Parts: sequence; C-alpha cells; structure tokens
Amino acid sequence: MKKALPSEDILTYSFQTEDKTDCAIVYADGIVNKQLLGDLIARPLSALSLRDSAQAKTTSKIKNDGGMSALNREKVEESIKKATLFPELKQAETIEDSCKEILDGNSLLLIDGLDMGLIVGAKLLPVRTIMEPPTDVAVKGPREGFIEDVKTNMALVRKRLKTPNLQFQTVRVGKQSDTAVTVCWLEGICDPTIKEQIIKKLKSVQIDNVPDSSYIAAFLSPRKHSIFHTIGKTEKPDIFTAKIAEGRVGILVDGSPIALTAPFVLAEDLQSSEDYFISPFMATIFRFLRLISLFIAILLPAFYVSAQLFKMQLLPLNLMLTIASSVRELPLSPSMEMFVVLLLLEVLKEASIRMPKYVGMSLSVVGALVLGETAVSAGFLSTPAIIIVAFAGICLYTVPNFVETGSILRWVFLLVAGSLGPFGIVLLIAFLLYYLISTDAFGAPILAPFSPLISRDLRDSVLKYDLLSLRTRPRLFHSKNVTRLRTNDKK
Amino acid sequence: MSYTVSSVTKSENNKIYARQIAFVAAFILPTAKFLEAPSLLAKYAAGDLLLPTLLHFLLQAGILTALLIAASLSRSTISERISYAFGGFARIFYVLYAIYFLFSAILPLLDLEKFVYAAFFDTAPTTFGFALFFIVSAFLCCKDKNAIGRSADLCLFLFLIPFLALMVMSVSESDLTGLFPLFGEKFGDTMSAFTRTSPHFSDAVLLFPLIANLRYKKGDGAKILTGYGFGALFTLAFLAIFFGVYSSIAPREHYAFSKIAQYFPALSVVGRIDLIFIYLLTVVLIFYTCLPLQYTTHLLQKTFGIESKMIIAAVLNFGLYLFVLFCNKYYNSFYRVISGKLPFVFWLIADMLPLFCLLLPKNTQPPNAKTAVSSPRKKELQHVSKSRS
Repeated sequence: MKKALPSEDILTYSFQTEDKTDCAIVYADGIVNKQLLGDLIARPLSALSLRDSAQAKTTSKIKNDGGMSALNREKVEESIKKATLFPELKQAETIEDSCKEILDGNSLLLIDGLDMGLIVGAKLLPVRTIMEPPTDVAVKGPREGFIEDVKTNMALVRKRLKTPNLQFQTVRVGKQSDTAVTVCWLEGICDPTIKEQIIKKLKSVQIDNVPDSSYIAAFLSPRKHSIFHTIGKTEKPDIFTAKIAEGRVGILVDGSPIALTAPFVLAEDLQSSEDYFISPFMATIFRFLRLISLFIAILLPAFYVSAQLFKMQLLPLNLMLTIASSVRELPLSPSMEMFVVLLLLEVLKEASIRMPKYVGMSLSVVGALVLGETAVSAGFLSTPAIIIVAFAGICLYTVPNFVETGSILRWVFLLVAGSLGPFGIVLLIAFLLYYLISTDAFGAPILAPFSPLISRDLRDSVLKYDLLSLRTRPRLFHSKNVTRLRTNDKK
Repeated sequence: MSYTVSSVTKSENNKIYARQIAFVAAFILPTAKFLEAPSLLAKYAAGDLLLPTLLHFLLQAGILTALLIAASLSRSTISERISYAFGGFARIFYVLYAIYFLFSAILPLLDLEKFVYAAFFDTAPTTFGFALFFIVSAFLCCKDKNAIGRSADLCLFLFLIPFLALMVMSVSESDLTGLFPLFGEKFGDTMSAFTRTSPHFSDAVLLFPLIANLRYKKGDGAKILTGYGFGALFTLAFLAIFFGVYSSIAPREHYAFSKIAQYFPALSVVGRIDLIFIYLLTVVLIFYTCLPLQYTTHLLQKTFGIESKMIIAAVLNFGLYLFVLFCNKYYNSFYRVISGKLPFVFWLIADMLPLFCLLLPKNTQPPNAKTAVSSPRKKELQHVSKSRS
C-alpha cells in the first residue's frame, strides 16, 4: 500500500488481535473519524481471536502453516462484522479499489493472512454546517442550503423526497480529482432520454480537476460560447427538489454547494422560491416587476444614450431640458459618459465582492462620494447618467441569476445604441430573440413556454396561478406521469 | 440508431405547427400593412379604404383555403408531393419561387429602410446605419423553418401588446365618421386602390412555404383561416382608426403606425412613450421583412443541395445591402414597376400558381410500395408463414 500511496498524509495504524494476528488500518489523515476507528474497529478486534473463530467453524478450510496464513475470508469477515458492529464494511479486492476508497476518506483494514482488505466507512470530511445560502435568500420558506459535501446534499434531497422513485447515480469525473458527480431524478416522472443523455455526457468528460459544478455545467451546455446559461443552478434543496418533481434531472457535484438542473428555461430566472409561499397575485406582480426591472437594467442606459444622440423625442420635453442643462458643459459624449459611469459601477461591484468586509465601508464612501458626487461637481459626469446607471444596476439584482448575462448585454446594447441609436437596439433585440428561440437545451427550447407556445405551462412562468390550478407537470419535460395534484372538487 | 434528444430535435428542425402558421397570419403579416399601405389606400380610395382592403383579404382567404384543401388531400406534405410529382424538375419550381420571394422582399425592405430613417432618427442617419439589418437578416436566414414558427409564437406577445397599446392611445383621437357613407367613393378609385396596393397584400404566398411543409391534421385549416381572419381584423381596425385620426391628410401620412398615436394627450407630459410600442412592433416588422429572404435561402438550399445555409444567406444579404445602398433613391420607380407594370407577374406567381397544388397527386409512394408491408411487420409475417409451412 505504501508503494501505491506514498504521500505522507496516508497513515497506518498497526495493532494485534488477541491471538497475535497482525492488523493494520490505512487511512488518509484529516478525513477519517479516528475515534470511531479506535472505538468500533481497533478495540473490538484487539479482543478478538480471529484464528479461533475461524477454526471453530470450518477447520478444514484453514491452513495453519506455523505463522500467519490464509484465513477463510467469509468466516473472518463474518466474525469481524459481529465483533465490530460497524454498519459500513465492505470488501476491497484490488489495490486500485482500496486506494480510491482511502483517498475518498474511507479506511482500509488489513489482516495478516487474509488476501483482501476491508473498507471501513468511517469518513469524516471537513464540511461546513448547513446554512442559508447567500445567493438564494428567502424571507419566507425554507432556509436550508446545499453545502460542499455531496453526501450531505443527497441527504437533503432525500429528506424532501421520501420515495423509492428518487434515484441517484454517481459518475466519477476528473482524472486527478476523481470528483463524485451525482445525477438524481424521479423514476417515472423524468424523461429517461434526458437522464441518459446527461449521464452519457458526464461519462465522456475528460478533465483533470472539477473544483465546482460550473465546470460540469460547461460540459453539459449545448452551446459552449453562449452568454445565456442553459443549465439551471440553485443552492437551495427545496428549489432543487421542486424542479426534480417537475420532471427535470438534478446534478450534485462533490465540492460544490451549487446544484445543477436540466432542462432549463429562461423563465426560471424570473421565479423565486418565495413565489410559492405567498399569494399567487403577489407572486405574479413580483415576477412582472422582475421582468420589467430586467428590461430597465439592460435597456435604460442604451435608450438614454440613443435618446440624446439620435431621438430626443423619447424623452419628455421638461426632462430633456433638464438633461440638456446638466450635460451642456460635459467634456464627454453621451455614450462615452455612460461608458465611464457603467465601468465605474462594474469596478465598484467587483471590488466590493473581493474586498475585505472592514474596508467595505470606506469603499462605499469612496464610490458614492468621491467618484460620484465629486465627478459631477467637477463637471466630468452628469447627474442623470449616474442616476440611470445606479437605477439600472439595482434593477439587475432583482434577477440574481441573470446578473452576469445582464451585465454583458447592457454593454452590448450601449455600444449599439451609441453607434446606431434606437434602431440598433431594436435590431439587437430581434437578433437576441431569434437566437433564443432557436436555442434548445436537452430537447427543451429555453424560451419556452412562450416560444414555442405551451399555453398550459404559462400558468407558472411569468404568471403564477394558484396552487390548485397547477395540477399537471410542465408539458415541456415530456413526463409520463403528468398529474402532480389531485383534489376532490370536480370542476 | 440510439434514440437521443438531439436526434429527435434535429429531425424536427423543419417541423411547423398549424398554430404557428395561424400566428404568422395573425401577428406577423398585418405589421407590413401598417407602413405604406394605409396612406396609399387613403390616397386612392379615401374614406372607402376598407373596401379594397376587404377585397384583398377575401381574395387571399380564397387562395389560402385552396392551399389548405390541397394540404388536406393527402397525408404527405405539399412539398413532398411536388418533389414526387416533378422529380428533378421540381427545382424549377423552387428557383421560380426563390426569385419571386427575393423580388417580393425588395419593396418591404425599402419601406423598412425609409421607415427606420423617419421613425428612429431625429438627426441625419449614417449611410451605413441600415447595414446591421442585413447581418441580422443573414442570421435569421441561417435558421431552420421551426424558428419561423417559434418566432410567430413569440409575436403573439410582441404584436398584441404594442398593437393594443397604440390602438388605445389613438382611438380617442379618431373620428370614424370619415369612413361613412360606405361606397362613397367612385368604384374606379376603389379598384385603383385595390390594384395599386396588391404587393402589400400577397399574404397567401407568404404562407405557402409553411403550409407546404405542414403535415395536415383535422382542424388545421380552421386554425389557419381563423388566424388569418384575426390578422384581417387587426388591419381593418388599424386602417379605420388611422383614417379616423388623419382623415383627408391621411395620404400624406406615411409609415402610419409610427404616427397613429402621436396625438395622444398624455404624450406631452410623459414623452413619446408610443415610440416604445412602435419599436416593439418594429421587431415583428423585422421578422416580416426577413420572411421572404428566409424562404429564398431555404429554397436555394433545397435546389442546389448546399449543406450550409450560411453562404447563401451571406451572398443574398450582401447583394441586397448593395442594392439598398445604391438603389434606394429609385424607390418610386421600383414601386411603379412592381405595382403598375408587373402586377400580373406577381398575381400569376403569388395567387394563381399555388392553386395548381390542388392538382398534385395525393400519393407520394411508388405504386409497389402501396401494397408493401413495413419491414418489421414483413419480417414477422415471413416468420409466421415459414413456421406454418
């Protein structure tokens, strides 16, 4: 074993049984529950006479050639299991298997004279506690979030879906990292072709290291260079299980708190877990609010620039006069000014994420006062531009999963608006819409249920019908079991 | 072959549903009639502008019905039946329609360009301002036919929201008494309006390539005709309100939909928010303008068997860009030639030729295949007969 695992964090603990049979436990330091190993493995074994227990039952099968010799594997294993009462014990036939298990956090029990090892599942990986995820904060509803341990995440899913139909299949990905990527689905509800396609794609992944689920998402995405994501992401088990129950396939990656779901439709980004715990009317209003905010976030800076440069009628007269007076003596053109303010916003945003918390306050002061107010009073920038960018920046965060894409789109729209005006904006909208309607991910068009129109699925898209109206699963996922809610009232 | 999602998707790339064709008829086709047609109709038919429009719609609905009957006669699509009936000679048919669609795209293209310069720019636009359209158009041309269907689905929202908003904003400023009495104008003027505006109303031919790919199911015809009926209603309502707003000066009000709501009282306070709706409707207009070019690309690809549409789309759109760049000043001459001298050519190809689809053979399988059993069933029968013997 030392040859196979020469690293210094691989430790061996040797001891003897009562009949002086040598035993050893090989494990990776730091990821094993040593107390459990000592109390439930080493201590009971040291009081056990392996030779006696084996000989007592089948003496003919035991060769006694003076020292330690081949023991009967079945009898020895049985007696160890009886003595230790340890629930997770399994045989390891080859050195490769044993190494994998040791590196995965399990321990290998070796007994002199026995031509196999026993894997002891006494894993104790350093994991953080389950807490509310920072990206999916909910005022109402469950607050649990996934963590970096795939087993814990599987347990969080199982806790919510206590059905034998919930199935997990783990694929090991990464030549060096050997990361466990677990695909989960509900048998009989999920379209098996989607599941098979995902597993097939995962098996074909050739990569050294998988540090996060985003790596897996990149491999699964049908359009590698798209700015629109085609795989759903969530940190919350309640959202994850709800999506699986709709007929999607879920993917949990060891080491990542972000779970993936497929197929994905863009309307999912407008939905929040809270929508399902409040009145459907309020949920619909909030979803429309998010949609409008999204358009404002992406298009407002572009329209402001194009209004100044190409089509002043877009603004009311009084507002136009106010803007005209504030931009009159600016050294920068409207598009250049907007470019600078947007750049400022992006830099501040990036810095505030990376910066230590105790510097955050001073960053706000520098950002808001020095760069904002002073730039206006110095005549570098105009107040309307700062207001517009600030408003657009805030609006984008109403749809947190769309922030990256929204930021890129805002830049592109600004570029087009500055050079071609509102017609450029309209053309770009037409282009993006056509791009989106022709994008499919795992057989599902990402602009569904709007295009192609699936009228029944519109009930939980931007609109949110009441719970009793959502009797069937989304048609988009071609689920065999369509009904998800039965009520006694006959309409 | 293993059954995968992608293989299914690929095979369905050209699949189009009756609902989507109905949406093309209801939401995409009317948009083109909101540009130059209203002022032309008002110019020739004045208060009777609804009559030639109605006549156009009835004529087109008749052709559409004939096409739908032709589609319903067989389980094969019209496209398959054409290929079966004419074999290699079907290419002549495809090329003819490719050329037709290319030419029929010119007027909407020039209309769109003029509309863009009028509605999107207060300042003088750059010469190359319209160039980006051809890049978008080339991109659209590269997409499969199911993308046209999906765009039609999306146009349900893109058309209805701005159209209804513009109607609500303009109806209060509209005086519909100008439309009465019906038949108040001379019959000759009404007919003149009918012939002069015929290029704007060749709807059936624009639906023809989609219907030709439709595997007809019961009820599809009703769906498509209802869609077309809605499109006609939207157009008639628009024309009525437009004439109600502008009355005698309507002939001078080009690009009607950019002007119909500009007298809404609230606009003086909140600015031209109607422009937002006009821009939304322009997205649909862009889809409409690209539609004949998409057909041309598909037909040329089918004719010459070129794998990638990108080359055809690029050449086509670059050629059109040069044409628009150098020939837009001859717009009136083009219009005169197309609507004055060549209407018969257009009528022949757009309205008459599709009717021959009614005469296409109903079956696309060779005679011996008619009685032949499908292979798994055949094997099963052979096995049974062997075991009996």
